[in-house]
Amino acid sequence: MVLVLALGDLHIPHRAPDLPAKFKSMLVPGKIQHIICTGNLSIKEVHDYLKTLCPDLHITRGEYDEDTRYPETKTLTIGQFKLGLCHGHQVIPWGDLDSLAMLQRQLDVDILVTGHTHQFTAYKHEGGVVINPGSATGAYSSITYDVNPSFVLMDIDGLRVVVYVYELIDGEVKVDKIDFKKTASIHTAH
Amino acid sequence: MPPALMNPLMPPPPPPSVSVSAPPELEGFDDVSGRSVTQNRRFGDLRGLQWRVDLGVLPSESSTSIDDLRRVTANCRRRYANLRRRLLVEPHIPKDGSNSPDLTMDNPLSQNPDSTWSRFFRNAELERMVDQDLSRLYPEHGNYFQTPGCQGILRRILLLWCLRHPECGYRQGMHELLAPLLYVLQVDVERLSEVRKLYEDIFTDKFDGLLYQENDLSYSFDFRKSQDLLEDEIGSHGNAKVKSLDELDPALQTIVLLSDAYGAEGELGIVLSEKFMEHDAYCMFDALMSGVRGSVAMADFFSSFPVAGSQTGLPPVIEASTALYHLLCLVDSSLYSHLLDLGVEPQYFSLRWLRVLFGREFSLDNLLIIWDEIFASDNSKVEKSVDDNIDWGLRILHSPRGAFIAAMAVAMLLHLRSSLLATENPTTCLQRLLNFPENINIKKLLEKAKSLQARALSVDISSPSPLIIGYHLQSKSVMTRSQTLPSETVSPKTPVNLLTDSYWEEKWRVAHEAEELKQDGIEQQIPTRKKGWTEKVKNTLRRAGSDPPPSRIKNGKKESKVVRRNILEALHKALGPEEEAEQMDCHEILCKQENLSEAAEGVQQNDNSKGDNSYSSDDRCPSGNTGIEESSSVYSDSTSPPNEANDHEITSQGSSVASNLYLDECDETADTSLSDPPLPVSDHPESIPETSESTDVDVDKSENIPQMSGCNNNDPGNSATHPKEKKQNKFQWFWKFGRNTVEGISGKVGAASEPTKSTSSCSNQSNSQPPVSSTTSEHFTSVSSKGDSVDQNVMGTLKNIGQSMLDHIQVIESVFQQDRNQGVSVENLSKNILVGKGQVTAMAALKELRKISNILSEM
Repeated sequence: MVLVLALGDLHIPHRAPDLPAKFKSMLVPGKIQHIICTGNLSIKEVHDYLKTLCPDLHITRGEYDEDTRYPETKTLTIGQFKLGLCHGHQVIPWGDLDSLAMLQRQLDVDILVTGHTHQFTAYKHEGGVVINPGSATGAYSSITYDVNPSFVLMDIDGLRVVVYVYELIDGEVKVDKIDFKKTASIHTAH
Repeated sequence: MPPALMNPLMPPPPPPSVSVSAPPELEGFDDVSGRSVTQNRRFGDLRGLQWRVDLGVLPSESSTSIDDLRRVTANCRRRYANLRRRLLVEPHIPKDGSNSPDLTMDNPLSQNPDSTWSRFFRNAELERMVDQDLSRLYPEHGNYFQTPGCQGILRRILLLWCLRHPECGYRQGMHELLAPLLYVLQVDVERLSEVRKLYEDIFTDKFDGLLYQENDLSYSFDFRKSQDLLEDEIGSHGNAKVKSLDELDPALQTIVLLSDAYGAEGELGIVLSEKFMEHDAYCMFDALMSGVRGSVAMADFFSSFPVAGSQTGLPPVIEASTALYHLLCLVDSSLYSHLLDLGVEPQYFSLRWLRVLFGREFSLDNLLIIWDEIFASDNSKVEKSVDDNIDWGLRILHSPRGAFIAAMAVAMLLHLRSSLLATENPTTCLQRLLNFPENINIKKLLEKAKSLQARALSVDISSPSPLIIGYHLQSKSVMTRSQTLPSETVSPKTPVNLLTDSYWEEKWRVAHEAEELKQDGIEQQIPTRKKGWTEKVKNTLRRAGSDPPPSRIKNGKKESKVVRRNILEALHKALGPEEEAEQMDCHEILCKQENLSEAAEGVQQNDNSKGDNSYSSDDRCPSGNTGIEESSSVYSDSTSPPNEANDHEITSQGSSVASNLYLDECDETADTSLSDPPLPVSDHPESIPETSESTDVDVDKSENIPQMSGCNNNDPGNSATHPKEKKQNKFQWFWKFGRNTVEGISGKVGAASEPTKSTSSCSNQSNSQPPVSSTTSEHFTSVSSKGDSVDQNVMGTLKNIGQSMLDHIQVIESVFQQDRNQGVSVENLSKNILVGKGQVTAMAALKELRKISNILSEM
């Protein structure tokens, strides 16, 4: 059983001062095994903070990131799942499922995590999942102004992944859960 | 059973998974000897099974049928399975298939401690801790204990147990208690598979065989009936292939029946089942840790808080360590005092010994043998008739198993005895204790432990040891001790000033008698004999109930010797000899102090030479000796540490009133050639009356003193309640007895026996100078002068002592005169024998004592 925290688009300090306090109190070291971050942190301090939660940190580069060394895309394998990571501003139109599915096929991943739209979305698509964790700080984007802070925690266990969605709505943390099972046949089909 | 049939089983090839060579296994096969040792060892050849019975997992009654065993087994396993289902959370798999209703609470990041996820994380934490220890478990037997399967079983069991007992949690060492349990189960299962291989047809054909039988019952019935015939048949069968179950020897039959998948409870009831080893091991572990309805629960040893109901207020493991030292003290006081001198407290090493039940000190094979014995000992509480002493109960000694554990530890200490005694500092001592030699004769050690166990259980031991506990407290801080003592001396019933002198006298007497007891070598502590006198006194003081604070007494002891001498010399010069005062009392005191007895003899000789009486010296000697013996018998109780409370109560009640009376009483009996030293006084008044009465009666007969029956009322036990009676008895006695001095004595006795006045009642300044007693009084004063609370009373005390010495001397002298007047021939004979060298010194001592008492009384 592996817990993977997925978040992005924090835009600290340009569009938000910090993570919401409620999120910060929930994110404690010791529980999470991996962090994947889609980008736009945007400063190194946020990177350091994430490192304190979990040393295994994977970041792709957003358009506002100071650190230019982050890759555009990244793939990693956790358990039986292959995860793809991309900020998403490169995929046009932004947040479009078909475009994202193209990227998913390109990277040959089961789970594709992208950001940039600041809107939480999760699609089951072609035996895989496409997830956008939204903005962890609720920062505005070029598309939307009214953004609820949200992030995603994936519980990967064998062929099964449970996606917990944490969303801060009116000062309360709402949790949702999405189950996803990968079948062996689909895996081989890839 | 015929060896022929045993042979095929004898060489149990080490099981593939257990590459450890397992001599215990071999021994297990040798069940002929195993069974003869203890009858209740029903499954002597199957250690795991036997342990399960011993630990209370399976019923121990030998009448229990195999079916019952199977049922109990199945129930245990069900319980464990339930527990496992309930406690081992796997949060990402919904238990009932439905989604958890409240995601806000049940999510991985939930802060709610009750959520499944936080429970899961807590378990994971625990698991990590357990794993850390498990990964280092028995590296030398790694190819069994380090296999993933074994580690998984151990981890789950520990995890479940800790979750089940959150108040204990996981402590390092628990895994070493569990591992051997699992190991013996494994060995049992291996044995089963061996048997199965050898007698394959029996195991496989059984189902078919069953078809012929109507049901299980008749089947097993037949089996039992034919059991008797078996022994004969087997001989002829020899090594031939056994065709039916009935032809197997009983031990194998048991195995077969226990592993019959079609018996009661079906597969779940297979008592020896590899599948359910985990379940069984958990049940055993749980039973061991919680000490099923017994007094020894291993879990307690891991707790750092006193158990509810503990009288000592010490954590159980410390309490057990204390018990260990207490036992050691009884068995080998020289080693005990050596360890004490080095400052090696028992918990330094016993923590490690006890918590894993010696698992670290012995190899696994030897450990199994030791555990055999430990588990074979009954764990049920032994109700002892200690009632009033129960306050000091050391719980570990209340059950045979606990006693055996303590005895085992002491046996180990004794095994190291010589090397421990050779150590000069605590570090090396501990090094030797903590590196127990590997190559030891385990049988010898166990035998020793068994004898010690019997000892531990038989003696009053289980209740006592205020001293040792006192020692604990003392070692913590001297301050507290000195503070507590004064309050102890002040008893509610007697005024302080009254108490002071008699109290210390009392203490002194107790100490001395304990010593005398020891010297007589009566059933206790011979080794101390070799030591110096002062050391002995130290020991006895420690043992004798910590009445006087040891340190003080020690000081007082040493100093007092010097002081005594100085004072005596000074007095020699200062005082004109007033020899002729009557010295009855010195007599009695001499009896008390064995070391002074010779001097006393001398004094008496002196008296004789002055024409007083030769008879008294005779008297004194026999009385001294016999008295000591008697005292030992009477005193066995007091040496076995009485609880302090009792001591103090009695002394406080008795001492002020009784001590004076007793002295007189003692004089009576002692002088009349009766053994009866000092002691009737203190600890167990009830036991003494008979002796004193009987002696009195004897006196009457032998010496023809009329109306001695009055003395029968002198029950020391009643001393507190009947002081007046006694007084009157004394009066009568003295009236008959002494002619010259009666008047004075009676007055004095009356004064002394009046509890409230005795200190101030120095009305009788009769000036007869008490002899030897002065030395004792020196002890008392030197001791008492150190007492915090006593300072103001020192002067009063001295006066009192001087006064009382005068009284005693007078009494003694009156007796001398009486004796002379009566002229007993028999005594003369014995006297002539005894007169020898001692009398000279005794005479001198009497003189000095008289001087000293004079000074004292004048102060």
